[in-house]
Amino acid sequence: MTPIIQASNIGKVYPGGTVANDAVNLTVMPGEVHAVVGENGAGKSTLMKILFGMEQPTAGTLRMEGREVTFPGPRAAIDAGIGMVFQHFSLIPTFSVYENVVLGAEPRAGIRFDRKKAISDVRALSEKFRLKVDPLPPVGAIPVGQQQRVEILKALYRNARVLILDEPTAVLAPQEVEELFVALRALVAQGRTVIFIAHKLPEVLAISDRITVMRGGRTVGEVIASEVTERSLANLMVGREVALRVDRSQTDGPLRCAVEGLRLVAENGVTLAEDLTLNVHGGEILGLVGVEGNGQAELLEAIAGLRQAAAGRIALEGAEVGTLSVLDRRGHGLASIPEDRLAKGLAPGATVAENLVATRLDGPRFVRRGILDLKAIRDQAVNLIERFSIRVGGPDFTVDTLSGGNMQKVVVARELAEQPKVLLVNQPTRGVDLGATQFIWKSITDARDRGAAVLLSSADLSELLALSDRLVVFYRGRIVAAFLNSDGLTPELLGSYMLGLEKQDPATLKAALR
Amino acid sequence: MIAAPNRWAEARQEAGRAIAALLVALIVAFVIVLSTSSEPAEAFRTLLTAPMSSNRTRGYWIDDVAKLTLTGLAFSLVFQARQFALGVQGQAYVGGLAAALVALSPVGLTPLAIPVGMLAAMLAGAAYGFLPGYAKARFGASEIVSSLMLNYIAIRMVNYAIRTQLAPPGTGQLTSPEFPPQAVFPAIVPGTRFDLGIVIALVAVGVVWFLLYRTAWGLKLRLVGHNAQFAEYAGIRANAIMVSAMTVSGAIGGLLGSVFVQGKAFGRIAIDFDGNLAFEGILIAIVARSKPLAVPFVALAYGYLRQGAQLMGMRSDVPMEMIAVVQALVILLVASQFTLPGRKALARLFGRKETAT
Amino acid sequence: MMELLVTVFSATFFVTVIRASTPLLFATMGGLVSDLGGALNVALEGMMLIAALTAVVVSVYAPWYVAVLAAIASGALLGAMMGFFHLRLRADVILVGFAVNILAAGGTVFLLSLATGGDKGTSINLVSKAVPAAHLDFLAAIPVIGPTMHSVLSGHSVLTWAAFLSVFAIWYFLYRTPWGLWLRGVGEYPAAPAAAGIPVDRVRLWSLIVSGALAGAGGAQLAMFNYIGFTRDMTAGRGFIALGAVLLGARHPVGGMLAALLFGVFEALSIVMPGLFSWIPGEMIQIIPFVVTVLALILFSYRAQRARMMKVPVRE
Repeated sequence: MTPIIQASNIGKVYPGGTVANDAVNLTVMPGEVHAVVGENGAGKSTLMKILFGMEQPTAGTLRMEGREVTFPGPRAAIDAGIGMVFQHFSLIPTFSVYENVVLGAEPRAGIRFDRKKAISDVRALSEKFRLKVDPLPPVGAIPVGQQQRVEILKALYRNARVLILDEPTAVLAPQEVEELFVALRALVAQGRTVIFIAHKLPEVLAISDRITVMRGGRTVGEVIASEVTERSLANLMVGREVALRVDRSQTDGPLRCAVEGLRLVAENGVTLAEDLTLNVHGGEILGLVGVEGNGQAELLEAIAGLRQAAAGRIALEGAEVGTLSVLDRRGHGLASIPEDRLAKGLAPGATVAENLVATRLDGPRFVRRGILDLKAIRDQAVNLIERFSIRVGGPDFTVDTLSGGNMQKVVVARELAEQPKVLLVNQPTRGVDLGATQFIWKSITDARDRGAAVLLSSADLSELLALSDRLVVFYRGRIVAAFLNSDGLTPELLGSYMLGLEKQDPATLKAALR
Repeated sequence: MIAAPNRWAEARQEAGRAIAALLVALIVAFVIVLSTSSEPAEAFRTLLTAPMSSNRTRGYWIDDVAKLTLTGLAFSLVFQARQFALGVQGQAYVGGLAAALVALSPVGLTPLAIPVGMLAAMLAGAAYGFLPGYAKARFGASEIVSSLMLNYIAIRMVNYAIRTQLAPPGTGQLTSPEFPPQAVFPAIVPGTRFDLGIVIALVAVGVVWFLLYRTAWGLKLRLVGHNAQFAEYAGIRANAIMVSAMTVSGAIGGLLGSVFVQGKAFGRIAIDFDGNLAFEGILIAIVARSKPLAVPFVALAYGYLRQGAQLMGMRSDVPMEMIAVVQALVILLVASQFTLPGRKALARLFGRKETAT
Repeated sequence: MMELLVTVFSATFFVTVIRASTPLLFATMGGLVSDLGGALNVALEGMMLIAALTAVVVSVYAPWYVAVLAAIASGALLGAMMGFFHLRLRADVILVGFAVNILAAGGTVFLLSLATGGDKGTSINLVSKAVPAAHLDFLAAIPVIGPTMHSVLSGHSVLTWAAFLSVFAIWYFLYRTPWGLWLRGVGEYPAAPAAAGIPVDRVRLWSLIVSGALAGAGGAQLAMFNYIGFTRDMTAGRGFIALGAVLLGARHPVGGMLAALLFGVFEALSIVMPGLFSWIPGEMIQIIPFVVTVLALILFSYRAQRARMMKVPVRE
């Protein structure tokens, strides 16, 4: 049988000298589900972009059904029957679902856009492939799982025979993942082929037929899913034995962060979260579990001072901080690692030293009477670069020259430099390679062992299970369950609470919340 | 292990680009002069050499440099905070009016006339610069549009004030009476326009540089300019910084107004007194990459060219407005990733910005 | 006061309003098209100015419609040039727009003096033509309402009718054709059309070209009907007021039309008021459109700010 896609010896070298792909081989058979796994930076995204025509390979050939092809742009790939669903959706929020699906290939009557036909076409497609979604509402108003379906419909509308999905499960809860897999199996049954990039090894093993493993820009293995285990896959990805757990906390400290009856409301009055009550003690990591958008990120914002609470109390170290500014709360020993380091955690055009001191510009240590103490700033920067093994030429280099993992280290270094008492962490290792991930995990547990109370939010359930001492589950803006972390706690169990299918009894909940 | 990025190389590269852009623009200018003048060589020679030729022309040049420095500085400050506030012209007008009012008041006869005039101008300019900032912070209103509108409003209101309140009644003059000598900047080179203005401008450069690179406020401002979301998250009140940046820039704009009306060139306030010079600060700021220390140098070069064009306009048959072509071209070239054909090869030879491993 | 009301509600005033609004309307539509595509065109002012001069100079040597076409072409060319520097060479669109304005302000004076042989103020020495008015005399024959209709609808510039037609054409384009969908998509979230294979930069380029063409038509009307001939700086901020009208009209063609008409009312008032109320200084009336624009800007930005917080954001 001829492979439907055959990438041979693909190389991609970027103008700056970065080698993203080096002699990469990928063979995908028609009608199969093929996963491409690897750490961040392994080159998977680049390979997919080449397949979709968004990048051009500097070496190697691409074959579809045996014939050599080149894709100078996405249009060519789309015409050849390749469709791509990105991790960051390319959907226009104010356009309706059907407008998003047909954009670029609209049915026409002369020069007129035939909206009626578009709507009926989209309806028919969504029924055929079991991707239920209403064509009419604006895409910005529907939940994430449905938005993903719109993305898939976009590809199917253009008669994609090969669907490439980039980390599709990153935003889904376990049960939603199951629904996605049902849809993928339906696609395969209809004769389509699916390629997807993934991180989460259990899912990869559950859905794929064959798996290609990439590391450092090269393919290091092509295996059949039924013949491998999670551990052996991880080793292939990293090339060394990977420790997937950290030590549980040994100490139990004083109450450092207390939230009571917190209610968070959006600008338009919609309640984002309510009745949030929890306590976090020094020396423990509390994991915030939940599908993204159920209140975890908002809670962290509220504690940090970036979001005003409509009701309820927040106390740090026993002191009420609800009315204090971000800076004042930091003065109480609060530190926070934000979700999106490039958007919120760093100023890419500023130097490493400037980024490292950015949160401490109101204190006496680096600023005296409004004037910067350049020597103190520099010394701290040199110190932190050493301590956190940040790979950079020096403190005066701009942050945008660093790799993703090192950028995150700058953020971590800045936040942990002053031995915080309360540490808020959101998606600490998103887009970070495994080596830096290990280091960051260690930094977080070190902070915990030095007595900090840590609140951790992550879309990666395995990360939460690995790091947390206790976990609370968010659903629809409320805390619906709390657990002590133990071996009996499985992603499936957490998933059922994450989707509101189970509810914990109030007594257990209260006890576990301390 | 600790290295430092090569600042000199970067500066040289930037200067090289600016000079290259200028050369291209001058070549185009020469072509224009060639095709429209009956004595192109003479006209072009005037353009290139006239400003140096006498004390008087040098005085004009330095006078222009002082003003261009101030407006370039004002724009650079807001550009560093990534705000496109374009209100320097309006600030110069209200500042000029404030200074004029001081000069024509009893204070104008005292030795305090100059400092108080300058102060009044700075306060007026600051207040006027505050307005678009507030509109942006509070309502999310685009500072581009609001500042441009405010310019038009300021010019007309100041013109009205001059026409009806300050001009000697009944004369139909469109200018105020001359200021008393205590209120006018003394000349450094007597008999020319080379006056206190340039000193003020250079002091302003030093002050702005210090503010931006040596104070916490300046670092906050630059961080906001790099990434406003990050600044918020770090506890920096981005809105407050933006507003204060526009306000301080407004003070500089107001100071420009004072230099205009209290300078030896005028010594009075007339309608439409700035002749659109305030907007040329945008060009200066762009070429100087919003770096305060580079602004006076760019102003020096650009002021020379500007003066040359004016003299060429007076002494030859080429109207001075042709300099607009040069201005537009320089902005376009410097604002884009312009590289001369050979540059890419040169860049590879000298190596690019240091990257971390 | 009575005098004012009588004047304002007269047919002649209406005609003046329409005449004043026409260049603004063209410019507003131009600003709308480029703004919706995500490239804010601050060069409308300069484009109109250059087009006005082009129209005047060309009309000396050619019939009026050639002059109008030349004006439109000059605007389109400027739009293409802006597109080149912004999209190909990655210069910021605001700076490119400003460069065009600077070029226009000085360049038109320069070219004017060349064309007139030394006059840098006006083109009064040139025999430039005018755009004909559309005399709909048949209207007067209609019983009862005929004469009123005639005084209100007849005598407008041919370009005025074109301007109102363009509002409809643009509305149809934006909301009834696929390319309008493309433009709005590109302006709102360019990653999406890009992923769908739509050439984002090409769409933006065309939006700038059309924007320039419309501004060019506005310039033609200005120098061939509102005034006959070119005067330096004759656009007097209209290009920026047009941006205000785009905002005031909530970035919709019909809204933009209404806003342009409103500003036309103010301009007409500034022509009429000094005669009626000589104690109101001309400068005060002149600043009204700018003040109104600032207020509208504040109001609409505030509303947009609140609306943005209403929308549930697309996650990731």
